[in-house]
Amino acid sequence: MSNGTQSMWNALDGEPTATLKAVPQWLIVAMLLLFLGSAVYFDARGGWFEPKVYGPYNSLANVESFQPPPPSGPDLNRGRKVFEATCSLCHNSDGAGKPALAPPLAGSDWVNTAGVNRLIRIPLLGFAPGPITVSGQTYDFPAGMTAFGSLSDDDIAAVLSYIRKLWGNNASPVTAEQVHAVRVEIGNRTQPNTVEELKSLPE
Amino acid sequence: MTAPPSNPPSAIDASCRLPLFGLFGGAAVCLALASGFGLIASLSFHKASLFADCAMLSYGRAYPAWSHLLVYGFCVPAGLGAGLWLLARLGRVEVAKPWLIAFGAKLWNLGVLVGLIGILAGDASGFEWFEMPRYAVIILLAAFLIITLCAFITHYGRSRRHEEADSPSGTEARFVTSEPTLYPSQWFVVAALFWFPWIFTTAGWLLHYFQVRGVVQVAVGWWYAGNLLNVWLPLTGLAATFYLLPKITGRPLQSQYLALFAFLTLVVFGTWTGMPAHAPLPAWMPTLSGGASLLALVPALAVVASAILTCRGSNVACLGGPLCYAKFGVVSFAVSSLLIALTACPLISRVTDFTWFNHGHATLRLYGFFVMTMTGAAYYILPRVSGIEICANRVRANFWLFVIGTLLFTLPLVAGGVTQGAKLLDPSILFLDTAKPAMMAFRMSTLGEVLIAAGSGLFLFNVLAVMAAWYRSVCRQAFANATARLETAEAQS
Amino acid sequence: MKSSALVFLTAFMALSASWGGFVLAPQIQLGRNAQAKTVPAGDLYPVARPGLANQGADVYRALGCVHCHSQQVRQDGVKCELVLTDAGTNTTATLAALGKLKPGLATAETLSGLPKTLMPLADMNAADPLLKVITGAGAKAEVHVTPTGPDIARQWGRRHTVAQDYVFDSPVQPGTRRAGPDLANVGARFPDRNWHLRHLYAPLAEVANSTMPPYRFLFEKRPVGSGPVPDALALPAGFAAEPGFEIVPTDAARALAAYLVSLRADSPLFEAPVTLPPAPATTAAK
Repeated sequence: MSNGTQSMWNALDGEPTATLKAVPQWLIVAMLLLFLGSAVYFDARGGWFEPKVYGPYNSLANVESFQPPPPSGPDLNRGRKVFEATCSLCHNSDGAGKPALAPPLAGSDWVNTAGVNRLIRIPLLGFAPGPITVSGQTYDFPAGMTAFGSLSDDDIAAVLSYIRKLWGNNASPVTAEQVHAVRVEIGNRTQPNTVEELKSLPE
Repeated sequence: MTAPPSNPPSAIDASCRLPLFGLFGGAAVCLALASGFGLIASLSFHKASLFADCAMLSYGRAYPAWSHLLVYGFCVPAGLGAGLWLLARLGRVEVAKPWLIAFGAKLWNLGVLVGLIGILAGDASGFEWFEMPRYAVIILLAAFLIITLCAFITHYGRSRRHEEADSPSGTEARFVTSEPTLYPSQWFVVAALFWFPWIFTTAGWLLHYFQVRGVVQVAVGWWYAGNLLNVWLPLTGLAATFYLLPKITGRPLQSQYLALFAFLTLVVFGTWTGMPAHAPLPAWMPTLSGGASLLALVPALAVVASAILTCRGSNVACLGGPLCYAKFGVVSFAVSSLLIALTACPLISRVTDFTWFNHGHATLRLYGFFVMTMTGAAYYILPRVSGIEICANRVRANFWLFVIGTLLFTLPLVAGGVTQGAKLLDPSILFLDTAKPAMMAFRMSTLGEVLIAAGSGLFLFNVLAVMAAWYRSVCRQAFANATARLETAEAQS
Repeated sequence: MKSSALVFLTAFMALSASWGGFVLAPQIQLGRNAQAKTVPAGDLYPVARPGLANQGADVYRALGCVHCHSQQVRQDGVKCELVLTDAGTNTTATLAALGKLKPGLATAETLSGLPKTLMPLADMNAADPLLKVITGAGAKAEVHVTPTGPDIARQWGRRHTVAQDYVFDSPVQPGTRRAGPDLANVGARFPDRNWHLRHLYAPLAEVANSTMPPYRFLFEKRPVGSGPVPDALALPAGFAAEPGFEIVPTDAARALAAYLVSLRADSPLFEAPVTLPPAPATTAAK
């Protein structure tokens, strides 16, 4: 290979030829500098290919450090959703109950309790068929109440907190930890509650 | 008017005549039409209620019509035409199947027309630089593949010829390793012929036929636009530039390695540009594009260095001819690459995002670099393939109309965009107070558009004049042959 | 280069690299996004648009609105602040706790006008010890995360737009130019569809000095029958039709207005944390 300005092709027919001059050094240096700058830029702002990192956050840890903590108080929104989806079919959306299906929750003495032990067992195990007295009124539901133990602790805590705050009720919220403690106590039991059994337990 | 044919074109050039008339003719018509739609679109900003009752000419349809006609009506066919001629000339071989290429050119024009009608009727895709509806995509792709096939056959025909000419008789001629056989322009054209079908098919497939979900659509759309504007246009434009500069000045291209460096950095870095800095995409995508935009400065610098070294010491005055066009194209390419690299810097893109700045540098690349280079190439190529000279005054007038028009079009938009962006950053300034001051810049840019429209009209006139003169000369020749035969027949009888 | 095969190979490798990086990788990372959960409430986001709004998205595309309007909100940074929400019953203990956090805070003025911003924080991790101090005194405090940036300061959004916001859009049109204001949250700024209809017919009627072209071809001018139809536009004088005529939106205009009203992108997500102002409390189940 020759260097300098000697042409490589024979200029036989007037078509242009090209010389063999080397690429100027400053151009290579410029390219390397720009490449370095781009690499530094990508390292600082690129988020290293994380799909959840969007500018101006520059790393996954950065995004995580701004995530809100889980809500500490009762999640009434969630409770409302669970209630509307699951409980309102029998207890009615306004908590007034439906004849032959479910007693009212509004103003119920089973709901407005100081302790939550009995109350938590109700959705976890349901009720066996039989008479039940709610706020002085006796009802008889031939089908009892279905158990909803498949709902998560958070959902049960949310829906119980919800019914304890609405329709004139005003009782303390229920936490997921309390639900979990009761679930552990119950163990593998699937037999529904009876009124006498619940009344014998502490509130 | 045009002079009678002076030197009859060589066999290679004559073979290119039919396809190039088709490609450049259609391109010239579309360039003029595009200018018309660009003016219509700009009018909506000067008097908002002008097209209140006409859906077809409203800004939202006239602007995509402009970009469609400019890119697909002019840029692609003109690039193909110049590329085909370069492959034929540099391969020292006649172009393969000229009638098939001419058919492909007509099919391409049909696709552009179908796309235009679709856009005006409201079927635009919504993706910038890829506005055509889905039914136009197939037609355009088929036409491009037909022309590419013929181009590759032409290029393949080159290597056998060269080896046969060089090899001594009786020895194995298959591999010639002593001399490279490709001139830089040929690499650029071959790469461009390969590039476009891939990006076009990907965009057409993933945006129209099997539309991807959510924001991946814009990722694909911006990838396509970046490859089209920052790789494909430079590949075809620089192929013509690397031919015109040494050929017209009579000096050798300086140098082969610089051209190779420009080629490699262009395809490796330019293809990663395209994602704007503000994109609603994970941070790694706009950051990679920003870095690539910075690095895309390198091929621009290489081209400028090569152009300066090649033209230095040459006494050829350009006089508004194709050499001037090519030089202005190189300068515009460098400046637009610089503007794109500037937007890679987040401090600057904060100011220029969403403003007229981006429109400004895109049109600088399109008009200042590509349209200028291709027009110059057309003014160089068409006389040689047809044997018809084009009046130098008209070529010069076209040059100055385009130059002043481009400068008036793009520079006010760039400056106006910066001030608009600075005002957008200040939340205490009402939005309307940011848009209105940009109108002064916009008025100047509309004046530039008028000049460009005039230049496009002149270019169309020149191209049609060449074609008309050629047909006239063919008719005259046929008439002369017929009368000569009659006379000899009469003399014999 | 000597052979065109080498040219072809170089071009192939370069293009396949960027194809892999900008077509394949986004599809793998984002192409199968369905609904995500907001944080911390866990609601599904985004919700699919109702049918008329979906048709309106198509009208938006057909009219080419994307060439003047963007639908993305940028964000420059994020602000994290400790906010006192409840002074608690034992104000002395609360003031003492506040004093431990920062000397200047232990004044009665801090306890008035709650909720009150106490101090800026670096991030949530810095908040934990401070929160313990305050809750230990019986008071309640929260950490508010507020994105900052010129778009957010202009009330164009509460947080930057991310991929999740566009999952159900077809085509996705974030736009690259702001000849008109950003529309990502226009449904939150202008929730009244009649405002949008009037604005489309005569922008100057709703926004003084507006540069937006009127879209009169989206409306019909009809003679009034026995009485005006409910859909007829109530335009101010100077823009209304002459007496005896009314302006009625076509289906396209109605769909476009429904689409614009549906545009909101401010739900808090993992990749776009933001503390929204509290929604009105649900009191009755009905």
